[in-house]
Amino acid sequence: MSALLKKDWFGLGLVLIFGSILISLFKPAFISPFNLYVLMLSVSLMLVVAMSQMIIIAIGQMNLSVGAIGGLVAISFTGLMEVYSMSILPAVLIGLLIGLACGFINGYITVKTGISAFIITLATLYIFKGMNLGITEAQPFYEIPEAVKFFGNAKIFGPIPYLVIIPIIITVLMWILMNRTSLGRYMLAYGNNVQSSELIGISSTKIVIYAHVISGLLAAIGGMLVVCRLQLGTPNIGDSWLLPSFAAPVIGGAILAGGKVDVIATAFGVILVSIISQALVIFKIDPFFVQIFLGFMILLAVFINRYREYREERRTKVFSDE
Amino acid sequence: MNNKIPNFIKTNQFGLLILVIVFICIFSFSTDGFTSRFNIYALSRVVALDIMIGLAMMVVILTGGLNLSLGALGVSAAMFGGWCMESMGIPISITIILVLAFGSFLGWINGFVTVRTGVHSFIVTLATMSIYFGFMTLLTEAEAFRKLPEAFTDFGSLKLFNKYISPLLIISVLTCFVLYYIFKYTDIGRKLIAAGANPDAAELSGISVDRMFIYCHMLSGFLAALAGIMLTARIGAAIPSMAGHLGFDWLLPAFLAPVLGGTLLSGGKVTVFGTMLGAILVTLINNGLYLIDVGEFWVRFFLGIILLGAVLLDRAREYFTVKNSIVS
Repeated sequence: MSALLKKDWFGLGLVLIFGSILISLFKPAFISPFNLYVLMLSVSLMLVVAMSQMIIIAIGQMNLSVGAIGGLVAISFTGLMEVYSMSILPAVLIGLLIGLACGFINGYITVKTGISAFIITLATLYIFKGMNLGITEAQPFYEIPEAVKFFGNAKIFGPIPYLVIIPIIITVLMWILMNRTSLGRYMLAYGNNVQSSELIGISSTKIVIYAHVISGLLAAIGGMLVVCRLQLGTPNIGDSWLLPSFAAPVIGGAILAGGKVDVIATAFGVILVSIISQALVIFKIDPFFVQIFLGFMILLAVFINRYREYREERRTKVFSDE
Repeated sequence: MNNKIPNFIKTNQFGLLILVIVFICIFSFSTDGFTSRFNIYALSRVVALDIMIGLAMMVVILTGGLNLSLGALGVSAAMFGGWCMESMGIPISITIILVLAFGSFLGWINGFVTVRTGVHSFIVTLATMSIYFGFMTLLTEAEAFRKLPEAFTDFGSLKLFNKYISPLLIISVLTCFVLYYIFKYTDIGRKLIAAGANPDAAELSGISVDRMFIYCHMLSGFLAALAGIMLTARIGAAIPSMAGHLGFDWLLPAFLAPVLGGTLLSGGKVTVFGTMLGAILVTLINNGLYLIDVGEFWVRFFLGIILLGAVLLDRAREYFTVKNSIVS
């Protein structure tokens, strides 16, 4: 039990359960099938985006271009199908390839130049977004195959949409990667302390590039899932990803300095953010409040993390004095 | 004496100056209208703002942090100013003082939370960005203030020096000189730099690093608010969307100018005039790209490439100067 209490996701899980019960007591509409369906859709999409950012946070960097990669892939995916009448599978593959390439560019330049990932991804944000706008001239693609539309809007049974399948698989894979593979542990080691990780023989180049490539791939998947959901490929897909992509991992206890992320807590963070956004809508609160709320939640999470760290520090100090 | 000239050539202000001159030459030969009075005047209005935004970011980069909330903060302050003048009828001079104080206060919040939590200012200002922008949109109901006093809007469209230069540019250049003086010659300026360069050493030598970091964030808020007022004067109205959604339109010039100017992202180094040259270069390229007609949609792409090129070039310059110094 005490081991459970120490986990990042445990407290969050409790907040989620009690919060949901409380909201549904006040507004039974909250647990209506339609509302659950909408909730699951928004959770699915943000889950992928949050994971894409989380893996970069794990190595102690940040990726501002997540949304730009998602947008570029989204319009390439739809553009290939509409303009070049390509079938779905090759279009998906090319979309993934673009995401991979974008991630590789980010990782390669960051690790080879040693310049902060913030600046590199700020530059590539503009480059990818600029390519997006240059190609589309800000016009959306509307001709989407029926199968894609179906995947984005049909339900498996009850209120559960097909769209949740891929994000759930991704979350499980990410959990395995971060907790059960050496690559994931190396990433955390690198995020914790670059020098010592190099001293024990971890290749920085490999770790950084892998992390950015995975981030790019996930952003690409996120972009294509949004296309399925919206049934069109607009150039502004991904524009609003930045804040939530950081919010979920940080609320889930990730330390921005790197070396500590929790996949389950990040997933809970996504769910929490979605539930709150949804609840604010149900309680008919101005949508701009959602944004303010998200901001305050990040600050709150930051303060709580800081407090826990402080307590931890005090405890370890007592032991070392003995 | 012989030693002094190469030193100046090695700085990247020199490289920037060359680049600015090269780009001016390219654009004035390859496009009509680049040197026209109208274009130069338009450039001076844009440059003024880019310099101010760049300086606002520079003073936070000094601490090794950054300020994502810059645009949201500037617009919030500007909207506050619009409200003061239009709804409350407060005189212009008092409004400006209030706006600057308000901007400093928002900056203080950024600094206080950053220092107290010990979290990187990126995440703090990401949160405050959405809070400031959200409150601003809620309170103004996304409505603009368009009936500002004429004396205020007239100032924004004033033309000086044979109608070539906007008075806004003079404000920015003056601000540069003031900041240069502060960082170079005053006690507090030196302390700010020391705190940014090596917080531990600064703390040991009796400087309150936390307080210095909060000052930097306040200064950033002050400058962003000033940029907000200048933009309001330029447009002639205070519009919630004038810096894009969440103030994001300010972000690229904000980083480009100091980074091009040679400000170290790890903190501890400021180059006021480098930032000014950086802002001039960005504006030139932006303007030139429109005149060359690359299509407005590709402008962003090229700006990204330029930022990337600039940081790579800077890295290469650093590499070679280090190599040279080892060889000699």
